Amino acid sequence: MSTTASPMPKVRLRQVTKAFGDHVVLDSVDLDVAAGSVTALIGPSGAGKSTLLRCINLLERPDTGEIVVNGEVLRVQEGITARELAQLRRSVGMVFQSFNLFPHLSVLRNITLPQERILGRSKEEARDRAHALLERVGLSGKAAAFPGRLSGGQQQRIAIARALALDPEVMLFDEPTSALDPELGLEVLAVMRELAADGMTMIVVTHEMQFAQDVSDQLVVMADGRIIESGDPALIMRDPQHERTRQFLSAVRDR
Amino acid sequence: MDGFLAILVGVPLTLYIAASSFLIGAVVAVPLVLALRSKVTVLRVIVRGLVDLLRGVPIVVWLFILYYGISIGTFRFDSVSAAIVGLGLIAAAYLAEVYRGAILSIPEGQWEASNALGFSRVSTFSLIIAPQALRVALPSATTFGIALLKDSSIASVIGVTEIVFLTQAEARSNQSGLEMYIIAAVVYIALSFPLGLLSRWLDARFRKAVVA
Repeated sequence: MSTTASPMPKVRLRQVTKAFGDHVVLDSVDLDVAAGSVTALIGPSGAGKSTLLRCINLLERPDTGEIVVNGEVLRVQEGITARELAQLRRSVGMVFQSFNLFPHLSVLRNITLPQERILGRSKEEARDRAHALLERVGLSGKAAAFPGRLSGGQQQRIAIARALALDPEVMLFDEPTSALDPELGLEVLAVMRELAADGMTMIVVTHEMQFAQDVSDQLVVMADGRIIESGDPALIMRDPQHERTRQFLSAVRDR
Repeated sequence: MDGFLAILVGVPLTLYIAASSFLIGAVVAVPLVLALRSKVTVLRVIVRGLVDLLRGVPIVVWLFILYYGISIGTFRFDSVSAAIVGLGLIAAAYLAEVYRGAILSIPEGQWEASNALGFSRVSTFSLIIAPQALRVALPSATTFGIALLKDSSIASVIGVTEIVFLTQAEARSNQSGLEMYIIAAVVYIALSFPLGLLSRWLDARFRKAVVA
């Protein structure tokens, strides 16, 4: 996969707006994510980070705005067909804070069932892919286990494998380590670092500043439903331009 | 001893009515619960009303209505059919509520993960949500099944020759009525006890497979 600049970013959001009743959670948000890059979304809780992330695969439906993924343009006001939604979800993989593995299916079946149903892969093909991915996330021995038997870190790595099995163009991570003990979070972050190194386009809502600084190409700071600052992670962390960014960064560092 | 054997004759019919009406209920409850969760308000309101109606009227009243009240052309329910249909509809209404609660108990994250992966609505429900909900519903459903086994005795009022009907007949023609009823109690316990065991075994089995 090439990481050179393409004319069109992999993900482009324009004027994405969403309100719950009177409360505006996203206020005309614009965002560009280049192919093969990693974007870290940070900011205080309630800033709208997760909502923005969930708008990218339309798990949350914005009130207005334009979402472009992999060149496919979706304008929310014009309505979105089931076909377009299916196409979008094929392009975008997602990893949740609470893992959300299917507890009634074995680890292997968690990874093979979506491949068979959504991509129409044969059982053998799906199984081979699942085993390859399990090896990649360091859990080859757990294919037959049920999710409830695994640690949170293991579950999250399997959730990553499950999403990768569908060959997404973009991966969304919604606070993937927030529900984990620090040492279990590390094994998840290690998998994510590898994925980034392989050139996957990633958008990550996170409180892991070290990860954001080391791995991300673009740091996006949100507050009150807006992007208040974005750009080079090292630069923003060293010299934040916005007062809210300064407050947030010092609060995180003091932890 | 004669009384005991006479009462035992009712066992197959009791089991037949209870099993048939449970099966009808378990199947009919599926479209009912889908309608109860429908986005179409009219459908939801109608089925909600239907379920409340079914549950709000005593079983014995439904059986009288079905047995004496329904005649379409030359069609009339015989007593066994009336009992099966009546108990089956009430079971459907009750099990629809059990299913509904079970579906609601499945975490939102399961729907979200399934949607994010790209499963269709039908696949999400049939492959991800329903199998999990079924395990949740199982203990309540089997408890209801045991209750239904006993409630099938109400069919005696429309002349179905099940356990209680035969017990009453024996009690009338016999010096010791109480003895006959105690025999009936023992027979019911003998029938429901294995069901209780089965229910607990199934529950433990599913729990083991799912939870750490």
